[in-house]
Formats: sequence, C-alpha cells, structure tokens
Amino acid sequence: MQEKMFEKISVIFSYNAEKNRSIPYKIRWRLRDYFIKSLAYHHKVREGRELLHIFHVTDGNLDFKIRFNTEDLNWILEEVSDGNIT
Amino acid sequence: MEISLNKVSPTIMHIDLNSCFATVEQQAHPHLRGKPIAIAAYPTGGGCILAPSIEAKKFGIKTGMRVREGKEIYPDLIIRTADTILIRDVNEKFRKICLKYSPDVVPKSIDEVVINFSKTPNLDRGLINIGREIKKRFREEIGEWISCNVGIGTNRFLAKTAAGLHKPDGLDVIDYKNLKDVYKKLSLTDLNGINNRFEYRLNQASIYTPLDFLNATDNVLRKIVFKGIVGHYWYLRLRGYEVDDFNSNKKSFGQDYALAKKTKDLEELKKIIMKLCEKMGRRLRESENCASGFHLGLVYDDWTYWHKGHKFKNFSYTTYELFSKIMSIFLQQPKIKTVVKVAVSCFNLQPLDNMNLNLFETNIERKRSLSKALDILNDRYGEYIIYPGLMMDMKNTIIDRIAFGKG
Repeated sequence: MQEKMFEKISVIFSYNAEKNRSIPYKIRWRLRDYFIKSLAYHHKVREGRELLHIFHVTDGNLDFKIRFNTEDLNWILEEVSDGNIT
Repeated sequence: MEISLNKVSPTIMHIDLNSCFATVEQQAHPHLRGKPIAIAAYPTGGGCILAPSIEAKKFGIKTGMRVREGKEIYPDLIIRTADTILIRDVNEKFRKICLKYSPDVVPKSIDEVVINFSKTPNLDRGLINIGREIKKRFREEIGEWISCNVGIGTNRFLAKTAAGLHKPDGLDVIDYKNLKDVYKKLSLTDLNGINNRFEYRLNQASIYTPLDFLNATDNVLRKIVFKGIVGHYWYLRLRGYEVDDFNSNKKSFGQDYALAKKTKDLEELKKIIMKLCEKMGRRLRESENCASGFHLGLVYDDWTYWHKGHKFKNFSYTTYELFSKIMSIFLQQPKIKTVVKVAVSCFNLQPLDNMNLNLFETNIERKRSLSKALDILNDRYGEYIIYPGLMMDMKNTIIDRIAFGKG
C-alpha cells in the first residue's frame, strides 16, 4: 500500500549535537502517535523562496515521507506506505 | 604491426550504482528492501519497466518489459514510479563523493561515472583501496542500501567490463595479467559495444569468442570486420589502450509527449508544444548553443504519422523563438487530425558565441538575456517557478523524466 496525501501533522524533532544528527522523533497523524525508529533518507528541495526538507522515515511498521517547510515552519505528511502490494 | 597488451598500471575506475532507480526507492522506503520491486514509467499494465530491483532481476524481470509482463513472472511485484527529485539528489551526492578523489570525473549516465586517476596523488594509495573506500562512503553518506559495482582497468572499456563481472556490489580489476582469463569467461555480446549485428559480422570472420576477437589481427578487424578505422580502435581497446577518451558533441535536442487525452484542439496542442519547447530550450541553452533546424513529429489517433523538418535562416535560442519555429511547421500539416503524440527536436546547433545578430531586430540580445535569467531562476528556486503564460495549468502535464543517456 502506498498512499499519497498532503496533510498537516505534529512533529517532535530531535537534534543531537554530539553526533550532529537531526531526526524526527515522533509524529502525530490523525490523532495517533508514531515513534520514528530510523531516518532512511533526507534531502532538500526548493520551491520558489521556500526551502523544503524532505525526510523519509519509518516507525518499523510504516514508511512516512514528511516535509518541513522552512518558510512557514509547517510539517506536511506527503506519503505513507507499508511495502505491501495492496 | 602487432601490438602487445597494455602493461601500465590501471588508472581508470568505472562506478555503476546497482539497479539505481529501484535501489534509491528501497533506500527511501525501508519496507521495500529485500522485495522484488520495479520502477516503471506508469504503474498501469502497459507501463514500461525502467528499473527492476536486484531481487526482481533474480526472477528474470528486465528493463524494457511491460508491467503486466513483470506481474506475469512475479504476481506480487511492487510497482512504483520514479521519484526524480530523490534520484537527482542521490546522483548529486554520488558525483560529489567521486570528485573528492579526482577532478577528472565523467558522468556516463545518471548512475554511472568514470574516474580518471592518472596524475592524481590518490593513485599511490592503490585503486582497489580507493574503490573499497568509495563503496563504504556511499553506504555511510548516501544510504546503507546503496551499493555499486566498481571496475578498474587501463582504459574505459576494460573498467566497464570489470564493473559488470560480479553484480551486484562487485569490485574487479582487469589488467594484462588477467585479461585473457576474463575474456575466456565472456561471450561477444557481453562486451560493451558489441550487439547482435556486430556479433554476426565477427562470426562471418570466424571470430566466435572475445579471445578470438583479441587474437584477430588489426588488418582483419579494420579491413574485413568493421571496414574502417573502428576496427583499429577495437584492436587497441581490447588490449587495454584508451581510445574512448573524448567528449562527443551533442547534435540535437528533442522532447516528446504521449498525450493523456488525445485532442485536435489547437489551443491545447499549442500549450503542449510550448511546454516541450521550454524543456528543449532549457537543455539547448544549458549547452550554450542555438539552433536553426527544427523538426516536428505528430502521431494521430488513426496511427498515421506526419513529420517535417526545416532549416531556418536565423538561429533560435529563447523558448519563444523555438516555439514560433515549431508552430510554423505545425501549421503546415496537410490535414488537421486528432493527435496522440507530439515530438519536437532542434538540430543544426551552433555555439552561441558564433551567432550572428539580426540587423533588424534590436531587442534580440535583451530577449536572450532574459531567457537565460529565467533559466537561472528555475535552477535556483525549482523547476517551473517561472514559465511562459501559455503554459498556465501545465505544470504537471508533462512529467519530469530522467533520460537514460545523461543525468
């Protein structure tokens, strides 16, 4: 299953200065909390004056593609998938 | 005159990301890892598979198959479309890592580069060590699922051949010591540049294996098999001498688009042609060229095809100039019919510096500078952040694709 969407979500983000590592710690989507286990990929995209940080993360059950807009400081969930065919 | 094998130390490294599009998708989506997946142009049955994952390849799923053919082989095959932004980001990181080792890095496609280590201090560390280090850095700096084949040789041909010996995640060297042993294990069509037709030609000269090919004389290759200088190049290439170290000049730029909804509406078709011209113009301007030759091809819904090419007196550079030339060809159609596919291309390229200015059009320089400025804005702030008015509502009509040839 792969579902594309564009929904605002709540995110707790962590930054570790010793490891110089930034990763979303927890996301809240549709009133459910998902604790992020690992960051699979991070990259940046420009859309006009907006710089977007795209994070591909997983909580172990689902893969999430979330984006952070550095202009308005919003988090958007763009995609959820579980790696299954349906 | 017989030439022996090239006995110098190898200085060329060929790096090839394994099943690039699919591996990148698996990197970004951990739940896809270890599963047979395929990246296709479209997820529907008729969509063309662009890249099967390493796991899908084991089932015999190949690039170029239709999605439905892939599903017939493995019904649970997961189909995804390419995330071009993600792939370009991986390619950028890939290129940056390679540039840390040598200034002479030539991209061969989105997932292949050739690094020339000659005259670099890194050569003293040994290319095998550097190859291992690059593999490690890909895993650490791009992603743990990203693997690559590394081939090392005295020329580009042997380096590429070495990169294909142990897929996936191989590291091999071909030099004068093991060259014959490697050739013994390969067939003629395993050699990069030898297709079925060349194989047939070689067979006609009693050359059936790469070893026969190596043992053939320069005279036989030049006069009988290839009937020209190409035969001599093969004679040198097979012995490990460099003959492929050149940049071929681009002769044309083209774009095509299969319409999602067939139409004969002029306004609709103008919009599509404008977008194709904008994409073609971006590539033309990036190459610092202008063009005077234009070609338009149209496929109609009755599967007939009309095309016409024309060389104009003036050279064109801006999107609008390209668009007006293509439209002048478009209007020469003998019959207006419903269009299902549009293809535009420009040829007869000339470097921008050599272009003559038009005596009667004084604004031309300003328009061209503006065009260049718009390209810079699009490069800096994202594709289609600014575009011609005719392209309104077209942003997602013609999907971003990654060409097989160049990144």
